[in-house]
Amino acid sequence: MIKKTDINTLKVTGDFSNDMISEFKKHYNDLKKKSVKPVIDLSEVEHAGTLAVAFLEFISRNKKIEIRTGESLRSEIDKFASESGYGNSEAKLSFLDRTVVTVSDFFKELVSFTVLSADIFYYSIGSVFNSSGRRKGSVFEQMLLMGNNAVPIVALLSFLIGLVLSLQSAAQLKQFGANIYIVDLIVIGMILEMGPILTSVIIAGRTGSAIAAEISTMKITEELDALKVMALNPLKYVVAPKMLSLTVCLPILTILSNLVGILGGFVIGILYLDLSFDMFFNRTIEVMTLYFWWQSMLKSVLFSWLIVLIGAHFGFKVKGGSEAVGKAATSSVVAAIFAIIMTDAVLSLIFYFEW
Amino acid sequence: MDNENVIEIKNLTAGFDGRTVLYDISLEVKRNEIFVILGSSGGGKTTLLKHIIGLLRPEKGSISIFGKNTLEMEVDEFESILKRIGMLFQGGALLNSMEVWENIAIPLEQHTDLENEVIHRIIRQKLSLVNLRDAYYLLPSELSGGMKKRVSLARAIVMDPEILFFDEPTAGLDPITSADLDKLILDLKKKLGITLVIVTHELESIKRIADRIIYLQKGKNIFCGTIEEAKKAGIEEIDRFFGWNKD
Repeated sequence: MIKKTDINTLKVTGDFSNDMISEFKKHYNDLKKKSVKPVIDLSEVEHAGTLAVAFLEFISRNKKIEIRTGESLRSEIDKFASESGYGNSEAKLSFLDRTVVTVSDFFKELVSFTVLSADIFYYSIGSVFNSSGRRKGSVFEQMLLMGNNAVPIVALLSFLIGLVLSLQSAAQLKQFGANIYIVDLIVIGMILEMGPILTSVIIAGRTGSAIAAEISTMKITEELDALKVMALNPLKYVVAPKMLSLTVCLPILTILSNLVGILGGFVIGILYLDLSFDMFFNRTIEVMTLYFWWQSMLKSVLFSWLIVLIGAHFGFKVKGGSEAVGKAATSSVVAAIFAIIMTDAVLSLIFYFEW
Repeated sequence: MDNENVIEIKNLTAGFDGRTVLYDISLEVKRNEIFVILGSSGGGKTTLLKHIIGLLRPEKGSISIFGKNTLEMEVDEFESILKRIGMLFQGGALLNSMEVWENIAIPLEQHTDLENEVIHRIIRQKLSLVNLRDAYYLLPSELSGGMKKRVSLARAIVMDPEILFFDEPTAGLDPITSADLDKLILDLKKKLGITLVIVTHELESIKRIADRIIYLQKGKNIFCGTIEEAKKAGIEEIDRFFGWNKD
């Protein structure tokens, strides 16, 4: 039975069963609001349900409330506290401690990522010169999966981005009669930024997540252990073919994206800005320098490495069951896109200011 | 030759995440015997197996296979040891993206320079041995649990290993399939002279196949010997495990 004995005191007597928790909570919340020095008197509780004990342990952590209990209920609450993990100091980390743990975990992860990346580079470069330890035809197979199958989506999205980018800029350029500069804008925009970024983001979503999901599934189902026991290195057998094929495929896809994006701009130039084919084509050749292409290719190669390394990192570090596979795939995409955009920003600044 | 120790473990203490799981384990496995690792769940059986095959590194102690300490070996030398052993994982651990024949072909393609035709013939022969000739072009997802284990067994024996490790080979299988798999294990021992190290807690299976057993209780070796010796030892935990203390 629950009753308020005075404005500061809430008293429970007899059985404190689990289905009394809701009623108790109402009184408890009311007491917290109205009383300056609240007291909960449980000294006459004869028996409490396990859920009620858990709730009492929860409210007993509020030091502003005085809780009076009999010996047996107190020992039940203490027992629950220690068994549920709140009895130890680990669960009560301060903000500063939690920050230290988070920062130290981040650096630990950074170190493991760096070590894994170095290993992947070592085995991938080695795998170029010596194909033993990797499956015959696996690089070509991965090229089909990662490169060939991504052509339609990369081409379509690049065309649309080129088209829309030109369309939005065309209206502004038209006001100044600077129609011909749409070519400069779209060529430089696509080759230096939109082409590499757009292609990498599509591939990070398509291939990066697949790499993380595949490796994490292989880890959970002991396939990686099986490879090790067959005297095969999983980095060389599973990751190196992906690394090699994406290093080749992403620059090719980027070239395709750049050209198709420019084609999108060409459509707007011809149909909306009254440029002739010759004007557009000649201006394109003038603007398009080898230096721009070199930058574009450098970015795409770096992005391809980031996609594979981050996918592999999240794949290998997975622990737990099938739900961890989904988390690994999602995390790898988020981290890869973040890394791609950060790297792009740094490279663009370096190239722009010629540092 | 049969008395030669193919595996020798001395004072192995091991664990992970700062938690010790195995305490001071010592054992020997002799050539051509079936050695069974027993114990209650969480007792450290699979952890011990993973340490023997090098998937985990111990904190202390030594592990010798074919007379050589594997913990002091270079990677290349350890790989040459791995080529002489096979392992059947609990879930089969078949590569899901590859067909059955491709899975069995992995060690042959990577560690031999045999012609493709010879490789295919070897795979067919191994699949006949495990009664799965028709599964040649199937994907692992199209196989039942028992079939996966048999394909995994075919892959494990394809290089004619001298030692074969099994992690719970009959777990989750019906009694008839379990008995068939046990028969296959006994055949492998008899026909190919393989040494077998098996982690299991299937009582019937243990009684059918074990030459010697080790019993781990909370990571400690409380008995190592034959089943007959275990019966006479009068260790309460083992008696309860085998149901020998029933009135």
